[in-house]
This record gives sequence, structure tokens and C-alpha cells, in this order.
Amino acid sequence: MGAGRWLRTRSRNVLRIGRWEITKNAGGVDKRTILVAAVAMVGLAAMAPVAANQGVALDSGLYRVGVEPSSPYYGAVAADPTFVVQAPSPEAVEKGRQEVLIQGGTVADYARTQKGRAALAELRSTVQRYNDARMVDEPNQSAAFPVLVDLRYVDRDVSQIVVPNGESGSDETGSDSGTDLSVGTETDGASAGDGTSTASGDGGGSSGGDDGGSTAEGTAGTATDGDDDGSTGTDSGEDGSTGADGDDATTTATDTDGDQSGGLLGSVGDRFTASLSGGGVSGTPSDIQPPFPFRSLVLAFVFVLPLNFIIQAYGSTMLSERIKRRGELLLVAPVSRGDIIVGKTLPYFAAAIGIAAVIALGLDGGAVSVLAVAPLAMLFLSATFLGAMFARSFKELTFVTVTVTVSLTTYAFVPAIFTDVTPIALISPLTIVVRDLQGQAIGLGELAFSTLPPTATALVLFGLGAGLYREEDMFTQRPIPLKVLDALAGRIKRKRSVAFVTAILLPFVLVTELVAIAGLFALQALSLRLTIVLTLVAVAVIEEVAKSLHVYAGYVHAKFDRSLRTALTVGALSGVGFFLVEKLSLIVRLADLMSLDIGRAAFNESALSGPVVLSFLLAPLALHVVTASISAVGARRSRESYFLALLVAIAVHVAYNLTVVMVLGWQ
Amino acid sequence: MAGSKDVLSDPRTALARRELSSLSREKTIVLALLIQLFVASFSSFLVVGLTSLYDPGSVASDDIVVGVSGDQRDALEEAAARQDGIRVRTYRTRATALAAFQAGDRDDRVDAVVHASTFDGRIDAEVTAPQSSIRTTVVVQQVRTLLEAVERNERAVRESHLTREVVPLPQEVPASPYFGFTYTVLIPLLLFLPPFISGSVAVDSITEEIERDTLELLRVSPVSLVEIVDGKAAAMILLAPAQALLWIGLLAWNGIAVSNVLTLLVAVTAIAALVVSIGLGLGVQTAQRRQAQLLYSVLVIFVFGLAVFLPEHPTTTVAKLAVDSASVLSYAHVGGYVVLAVVGYALLRSVVGRVDAENL
Repeated sequence: MGAGRWLRTRSRNVLRIGRWEITKNAGGVDKRTILVAAVAMVGLAAMAPVAANQGVALDSGLYRVGVEPSSPYYGAVAADPTFVVQAPSPEAVEKGRQEVLIQGGTVADYARTQKGRAALAELRSTVQRYNDARMVDEPNQSAAFPVLVDLRYVDRDVSQIVVPNGESGSDETGSDSGTDLSVGTETDGASAGDGTSTASGDGGGSSGGDDGGSTAEGTAGTATDGDDDGSTGTDSGEDGSTGADGDDATTTATDTDGDQSGGLLGSVGDRFTASLSGGGVSGTPSDIQPPFPFRSLVLAFVFVLPLNFIIQAYGSTMLSERIKRRGELLLVAPVSRGDIIVGKTLPYFAAAIGIAAVIALGLDGGAVSVLAVAPLAMLFLSATFLGAMFARSFKELTFVTVTVTVSLTTYAFVPAIFTDVTPIALISPLTIVVRDLQGQAIGLGELAFSTLPPTATALVLFGLGAGLYREEDMFTQRPIPLKVLDALAGRIKRKRSVAFVTAILLPFVLVTELVAIAGLFALQALSLRLTIVLTLVAVAVIEEVAKSLHVYAGYVHAKFDRSLRTALTVGALSGVGFFLVEKLSLIVRLADLMSLDIGRAAFNESALSGPVVLSFLLAPLALHVVTASISAVGARRSRESYFLALLVAIAVHVAYNLTVVMVLGWQ
Repeated sequence: MAGSKDVLSDPRTALARRELSSLSREKTIVLALLIQLFVASFSSFLVVGLTSLYDPGSVASDDIVVGVSGDQRDALEEAAARQDGIRVRTYRTRATALAAFQAGDRDDRVDAVVHASTFDGRIDAEVTAPQSSIRTTVVVQQVRTLLEAVERNERAVRESHLTREVVPLPQEVPASPYFGFTYTVLIPLLLFLPPFISGSVAVDSITEEIERDTLELLRVSPVSLVEIVDGKAAAMILLAPAQALLWIGLLAWNGIAVSNVLTLLVAVTAIAALVVSIGLGLGVQTAQRRQAQLLYSVLVIFVFGLAVFLPEHPTTTVAKLAVDSASVLSYAHVGGYVVLAVVGYALLRSVVGRVDAENL
């Protein structure tokens, strides 16, 4: 009864403020503006096909090549806009006015500079492409393209072929996708289909299902050597059950997408997927591409783009509440702070979702895409909200908005690049969009893993901003760092709230750590050890700052007395709060992060707690309490001593992490 | 107007100084530089990261091991002998090769399996690569290079059946894979960001004065609206080449030589003047930040989009100038930008001159 009425009042208030925001804004941006903007947008849209058609060759005219029209190289050089054709002149090469010199049928000379070498390397790949293009017109195709390639990806852990037409639960679909592949090969000028399966040598392809054989025989060959085709059905059945089981966390992620994509979408979608992601290709050697979901990635970017415009308007309206003290009127109205914030945010959130839905319809994306964009939109809005609460002027807001745009786009985009490479990509909701656009199925666990942390982070940011949505903070101008401390201190009422603030900061910590891991991920190829150490340092820095910044804010705002005892209590509370929530965040496991060395390094504490003894559970607790106390003791004196203590705490944390990793071994 | 007067006592100089000091007081300029650095390092990270994924040389020294089987495995072995970073291990049957691939032993690791058999007069290569592994990209890239070499060798053998000549590949040289990216993407990005940020700040600067009614105070002093706009424009326009110079210096310090620095700075200044003129014009016309910013971002994107129709795209002009491959066309474009900037700014002044400041 009471709750119902409360809810009704809330929603009525929120809707009223939302409506007001819409009408005020529709009146705020006049028709002329909308018209000009619309004309410019239409103009841009009209230009797009032309631009796409001409293609903006960024590197056109970058290198200068001296070549005679009689040279066999002339055609290749002239056809590539990267090169400027010049008359060959050894003197020009010497003087740095020509990078590559071709005399007759050979490369006679090239500039011995970075540029000259880059030009020659570019020429090499140009010639390769040129040859391939010319061979297409040859009457004798088997001499022109003497090598045919059929590339498949196989998951080693599961001993199952996952790619792109990963066999599904049912035998039929399996053979369907097989057929498709061979058809694809045939149109490419080959007739691999049946031949492939018989050539396999393990005798698997011979019994029936010639078409499906190419997929089937791999499985047979690997799982149980020499098995014949009959086993395919059983095999995939088993795989299916592994997927459903879910007990084996390391295999679930890859398993499910392979299975379901075959089952749900059938072969056509799969072949589409293959061409998009570059997975499982047939053709000439030049046709195969390492996995890189380029097109889907570009399409996914379309989802992020409108958010940038929306937050511009949103930041503007939030800041103008403050600058003209308009917000004061709202604050004296009989509505709560929450109502105002939710009401003012709702129209923009709805617009973001609406646009995402339209884009999803246009790109053949599913509801999953929209669902995945929702937390991103929340994150953009919440960061802008907090920024607008911090900013002192429109100029500052512009920079805050750009910072938000750049960093959140990075967060969304960089991991999504690795969509097909590693489950770590799932830390970004955009990966879900990319997968959805590629026609892959998405598990509930994966969806939760990539959407919950950003959602929680957005809520935290809204919460911190809401702490500043008061008269005494809204209409004062203070530098941003002080405002950050204000926001944190606003949440601290008594000592106990320190633990609470640490706890609610955890999603933020999680997301930042994941981004750091993703950022360091590319380095892994260089040196695994260095990457792990760097990851440990990054994790320590992030966690220690999250455990102590609000404690420092509390001291700055004189929420605690400066005795040593209070400092230790507050530090311990912060450590305990962190520990408790971190244990709840075992969600990390859902996405199979533990199968990655780097992921294990970052989350070793969580990884330990599962099977191991009590001491292992207590060790991280002790660590968090100790380090948080160290920085709390520093925080009670001054800013300098806080930074010093923070450094010590980070050092202790890194040392602890390194020890744990060493004890567990590097792998 | 104020040709012979002392530059320092000119009210416009004072206004420009005030603009710059407000930027530095709010530390927004630091933020601006950070953002640019972030964007640049982000895009470099993308390229360096991705290239290192593709580039076998950058992956900890160990070679890619390819298990080969089938009656054409000799062709693969022959090609692999001449390729760096790849080793082949021969298996009698495909099944044993795949078993080794699946076993995934540390010492006896097989990264990929290529089963090459004769089929219909061609080599049919069935490649099995690992799914979802950090090495997958390198493995596939290496196998691709290997098979391309096999293709070339085979083409050479069958040359008599071909009607067209196959152009021999130029020799391989150790070249930086980032060279093209540095000059065609990174440098244009770093040089174009400052003008666009300047324009955006100019919009804020003018609309903020209007919205906060501080323009009125300025108007009390003996300065005209045109002079106010002049002062704001000067600060914002000059900020862009200063930042560009900073980036060029940083790049040079990192061993990336940038040629034609003066011409590049002229181009950056011209583009900044053009963009700032658009921003200030919109600010004065709309007198509201939200509208002005929206129109500014849309129009600047539009103008940049129009550049596609130029004979040489601005980014290409910048790239060619920076890499020292500039043609007459590139210089002509820079000249064109200067003319455009002068015209744009003159237009802004005449628009501002006709605006009744009392109504703002």
C-alpha cells in the first residue's frame, strides 16, 4: 500500500520532469538550428556513397617510384595510388626525390632510408596483389591459381571444430554447413568438396555424408582416431552436453557459440559470418585473412556514435541548471533529488535506446544489440552527469565531454577488436553487439558479464553525482579535484560508511581493471612475464586508490578525528568492505577469464578462494585491511603524506600479488 | 584598423591574453593536450598492437611450427625453408598431424596443420588453425605467407600455360610496418585535432559570455563586438599551431622526422582560422551554447566531409608534406586553405559587425 503509493508518486514526478525537459528542449533548440543540422546530416549521408565509391586513399602519392612504361612493373605501380610514377633517375634517388628506382625488369635501387624501405615493402605487396588480379583473367585457371586453400579453426581444448559452421546438435545441420562450404569452394573455381573428405586419410569421410565429411572427419580424426562418420552425431551430441553442463568453466564460452550458431542460424548465416569475420575461408592463399571482425566492428561503431551527440545535449542541460541557478527552482519544488535526476536523464536515455533500436533494425541486429548498448548509454550519461556537476564553465564541460567520449569509446571499442580472439573481449558490451551482428548466439552468462559491470559503474557515477546535486555544491565553483573529493565525502556520514563507499566503488574498480588488462593484452605477445607484472602493478594502483581516496576525502572534510586509532579503524573498514564485495564479484569466472594467464594474474585472489583452504581466504583479507590502513594513516595528516602512504600501500600490494603468482607458478 | 598602434596595448591583445589565461587557470588546456595524447596513443596502440599480432617477428622469438602432411608436403617444405619464423614438421598422415596439433605439447608443439594433396591438377591445402588463441593471427598470417610462396613457385612451374607474365616480387627489406600509418593517420590526426578543439572552445567562449551576461560588462568598456571577437579568435587560432608544433617536436624526439614544418604550421593555422570563424559565427548568431555547439560539430563534420571532393584530401596533403613527398598540388592546397581562411574570417567580421550587440 505505502510502497505502491510511493512508487506512483515517484513515477508521476519523474514523468512530469521528463516531459518538461523534452518540451523545454524542443523549444530550446529552434527550428532553424534543427533545419541546418538536418540539411548538413542529409548532405553527409548523400556524400557517403560518393566517398565510399571513390574511396579516400589516405596514402595516395606517398611514395615516388621511377619506372619506364615498358617495364613489367609499370602496370602495378600505376594502378596503385600510393605511388607516384616518375621517370627513373638514379640522381633523384640519391637526392631523396625518388624512393624506388626500377630499371627494365628489376628494382635497381631504393633509398636507404626508413621511407625507402617502407616504399619497397609496399611495392612488394602491391605487386603481389597485381599478379593475383591479373591471374583472374587467365584462361587456364589451374595454372593461374595452382594452390587452393581451405582454412578452418579448431578448438584445441574441446577437440571439436567450432568454426564458422561449427557442427550443431543435430547431424543434419552439420552436414548442411558442410555442403555450403564446398559450394563456396566450387564457385571459387575449385571442386574440393568430396575430394577433401576422402583425402583426409583417416577413412572418416568415406562412410556416407560426403558433404558433411569435411567437417566430420576433423572431429573423428582428433577425438577418436580412425572412427568413421557415424561418430559425428555422437560427438556433437557430447559437445552439446559439455556446453550445457557448464561445470567446466573454461570451455563453456567457446563451446556455446559454436553450437548455437550452427543450430540457430543454419548455414547461410554461418557463411555470412565467415565472410565477415574472416573465419573459415576457402579460396586462394591471398583470400585467407586472420580473424578480425572488421566490418562488424565498423558497424558496431555506428551504435556508439549517436551517444556522443546525446551527451553533448545532456551535459549542456545539466550544466545550465547550475550556471543560471535554474536548478534552484527545481530543488525547492516538492520533488526529491532522485526524481529530478531520473526525470532529467530519462528522455536522453530513451533517445539513446530509441536510436539504438532503429540502428539495430537497419543493420539486422537483434534485441541483444540494443540490450548491450543500454549499459553503454548509461555509462556515457552518468559520466557526463558527473562531469557536468564538476565543471565550472561550458569550456570545461566541453573538455570533460570530450574526455568522456574518448575514454568510453576506447573502453567500448578496444576489447571488441579481439572479439574472435579471446573471451577477454567480453568486458565491453560492444563485443556482444559485434557478435550479434556476426550472427553468433550469446549466452546469458556472457551477456551478464559484459553488461553488469558497466551498469553498476554507471549507477555509482550517478550516485556520486547525485551527492553533489545540492544547493551548496551545485552553485559553487571549485576545481575538479576538490569536487571529486566533495562527491566522495558526501557519501561518508560515519566511520561505517567508509566500508560502504569502498563496496560501491568496486564495479568501478572492476571495469577499470578489465580495461587495464585489455590495454596490456596486446603486450602479451611481446613478453608474457612483463605483461603479468605490469598487470599486477596496474591492479594494485587501481585497488589501493579505490580503497583510500574516499578515506582521504573524509579527512579533508573533517569527518573523522585525526587519531591513529580512528585511522586504523577506518582503514580496516575500507579493507573489509573491499574484500567482501570482491568475493561477490566472482562473476569474472562466468566469462572464462581464468583460462587466460593474464586474467588469472589479475584476479588471483578470487581464483584462490574457491577450492583452497582457509588461510588462502584470509590472506587477501589481511592484505586489503593492511594496505587500506597504511594509506588511511597517511591520509589523516596531509596530502603529501597521503600520497606517500598510498605508494607504500601499492608497493605492499604488488609484493603480495607477485608472491602469490610466484607460488602458484607463472602458468 | 589598429595597424600602427602598439600591439600590446591593443584591447584585442588584452582579450586574447584573458582567453588564454582562463584556459590555463581552469587547466582545460592540460586536459586538451591529454585528450590529444590519449587519442594519439590509442590509435597507435591499435596499430602497434594489431601489427604485433600479425607480425611474427614481434612474438617472442619462437617459430611457428606447422605440421604438414599429404603428397604435396615437399612443396610446403621447400617454401618454408626460405621463410623466416616458420618451421615445418612432416607427418605421414593427416590424422597423426592433427593428433600432434591437438596434443599441444610444450616441446612438441604444432601450431597449425596443413594437409596438401594433389587434386584436379592443383594443390589442395587444408589448413587447420587453432581457434581463439592469441597466436591464431600470427599463425594464420604465417601460413598465408607460406602458401602464397607455394603459389608463386607453382605459377613459375606452370608459366608456359599462362598468357600473361607474372611480375617478379621485389626483394624483401626490413621495413617498419608502422611507417605508412605514422604519416597518413597519426600525424594528420595530431595536426587536425588542435584546430577542431580550438573551434569548439571558441564556441563556448563566446556563448558563455552571452549566456552569463558578462558580454554586457565587456561592452561597457570601449571595445566593439568585432574587437572582442578578434581577440577571442586570435587566442584560439594561435593555440592550434602551438600545439601542432609541440606534437611535431615530440614526434621528432621519438625519431619520426617531419618535413616541411613551416608549411604544415601554415596549413594548421589556416584550418584553425576557418574552423574558429565557423564557431564564433555560430556563437554570435545563435547566442546559445547548445545550438551553437550542435551546429558547430555537425557543420565541421560536413565541411570535412566535403573535403573528399578536393583533388587531394587534407589528410593526404598533410601526409605528403610531412613525409616529404609533397607535389605542387599539395602546396596549392595549402594556399587554397589560406585563401579560404582569410575569406572565412572576413565574412565572420562582416557578420559580427552587422549584429546588434544590444540584442545579445
